[in-house]
Amino acid sequence: MRRVGLPVALIVVLVVLSYTLPTSRLLVLENVLALALFAVATNLLLGYGGLVSFGQASFYGLGAYVVAASWAHYKTPFWVAFILAPVAGAVLALVVGALALRTRRLYFALLTLAFSQLFFTVAEKWYGFTQGDNGIFGTMIPSKLAEPQAGFLFVLAVTVIAMLILWKVTESPFGLTLRAIRENRERAEALGVNVYWHQLLAFIISGAFCALAGVLFVVHDQAAYPQLLDWTKSGDPVLVSVIGGMYTFLGPAVGALVYQYGHDLIIEYTTHWQLVLGIVLLAIVLFVPDGLAGLFSLAGWRRAGARVRSILRRQAEVG
Amino acid sequence: MDLGNVAIQLLSGMTVAGYLFMVSAGMTLVFGAMRVINIAHGSFYMYAAFIVAAIVGKGTGASGMFWVALLVAPLIVAAMGTATEVTIMRRIYTKEHLTQLLATFALFYIFADVALQIWGGAFRSVQAAPVLTGQVNVLGRSFPKYNFFVMGVAVVVGVAMWLLLQRTKLGWRIRAAVEDPELLAATGTNVRLLFTTVFTIGALLAGVAGAVVAPLVSVAPGLDAGILVEAFIVAVIGGLGSIAGAAIGAIILGLFQAIGILWVPTWASAFTYIAMILVLAVRPWGLLGTPER
Repeated sequence: MRRVGLPVALIVVLVVLSYTLPTSRLLVLENVLALALFAVATNLLLGYGGLVSFGQASFYGLGAYVVAASWAHYKTPFWVAFILAPVAGAVLALVVGALALRTRRLYFALLTLAFSQLFFTVAEKWYGFTQGDNGIFGTMIPSKLAEPQAGFLFVLAVTVIAMLILWKVTESPFGLTLRAIRENRERAEALGVNVYWHQLLAFIISGAFCALAGVLFVVHDQAAYPQLLDWTKSGDPVLVSVIGGMYTFLGPAVGALVYQYGHDLIIEYTTHWQLVLGIVLLAIVLFVPDGLAGLFSLAGWRRAGARVRSILRRQAEVG
Repeated sequence: MDLGNVAIQLLSGMTVAGYLFMVSAGMTLVFGAMRVINIAHGSFYMYAAFIVAAIVGKGTGASGMFWVALLVAPLIVAAMGTATEVTIMRRIYTKEHLTQLLATFALFYIFADVALQIWGGAFRSVQAAPVLTGQVNVLGRSFPKYNFFVMGVAVVVGVAMWLLLQRTKLGWRIRAAVEDPELLAATGTNVRLLFTTVFTIGALLAGVAGAVVAPLVSVAPGLDAGILVEAFIVAVIGGLGSIAGAAIGAIILGLFQAIGILWVPTWASAFTYIAMILVLAVRPWGLLGTPER
């Protein structure tokens, strides 16, 4: 096992923080963990598979609704819903993926987006089951988990275990094949790789873990509502993956941290969060496509510098 | 089922088809020539609606201003399009499509924030010119006169686009750019300028749609995100890059919505997405599109 030191140190720090941080701060950190898992799971498609899905909120929202709706209607114990949610996520991902993966690139992005909007509509209109726009609120998690520290440690544990599994997936022969398909689809096909099945399996795994992230959201918020399935919500994990660096495993998690704290910091000074986010995002995609992870490597700096120079040169030629 | 109601819903569906066609035509034109999907395309639509609302004012009855607004708003939005193309878009044509999507996603956020800053979050309603207000009788039911105006504008825009693309030198260049930009550059065409022009026309189309639609909707933030998804769907159903496809896609969507409202009113909005999923399950590249190059 290479590079176990840093993650282990990080987990220790987080556990220590759970004893020292005031509740409000702890809840922010809990939110970061849920977003981090959502982003790392999405990045299995994005960074490793080269598949731009703009519909991962479908599974995130589904995970949240499995917990909330099964509690509201059947008084299902949380632990049953907790197991059920990723399974439901995987099944829905199988259906969506089987259709969406027939298309390529942009069409794939747009088709996943259409599916997520369909599910958004279902969540909004199926009033009898989802309580529509109002969403479902209530004491849907065990009282023990409702305590801030216990809830945080639970979310931390689930996130760590889920990420370990995802890490194993990315390092497995399956994960390597997925990357090979991303790099050169035709060559992978020529080598006898069944591209469709590999991508579908990646889509299912991602869907299951996105649903799990949705469950963590419920632990954090004790609610489920249609906005969890909105297409801009699907944009979040893509965004933080790009901010943090989608070609590294933990880049999206770093992105989630930066995104959340950046948001909290910025709204202290200005109401123009979207403006700042837009400008930062634009700067990143134009100048540092490797994200923050790229910024930390010298090569990333050089590439960014070269890119800025070449743009300035082109500007000079035009001007 | 009562025939009047069916007629009314069909006409409503075609009204939706009318403005959806104009928005999607702009989006699909830009995609055809530059291979970029612009997430901020809906922002141009929303800005035009806001500009109309600002010019007309809140139901002051200054009817002449409506026509002024209808003319000015799309032009302002077209100018925004030019500025966007020159500063941002032309840097991303050669990048991979994730970069393109995110860059325009960033623009979407920026435009949304600036719009909120200028016009605030309140809902505004726009009064159309008196000539266009009122109802007409359709098979014993009353139907707003203004909807016919929207359909009329859409038809005019459609014919104008066809003439532009088929009968002018500019149109010939745009079609050539869709086929092979490099070859076009080799023939001495200024492709950079052509791309700016195409993007400006795309923004103008979104602007016309937004301006025309202003009296039909409550003009407020969120208009951009809402229209964007529907425009995507229309463009994708028709086949990205095909203007005729956008027209067919818009009509299909309008029909599906009408059927949805007549059949299961609560679920009408779901029909939009089902339409897209059905079409793409059969033809992944859209009705008039060509398989991925």
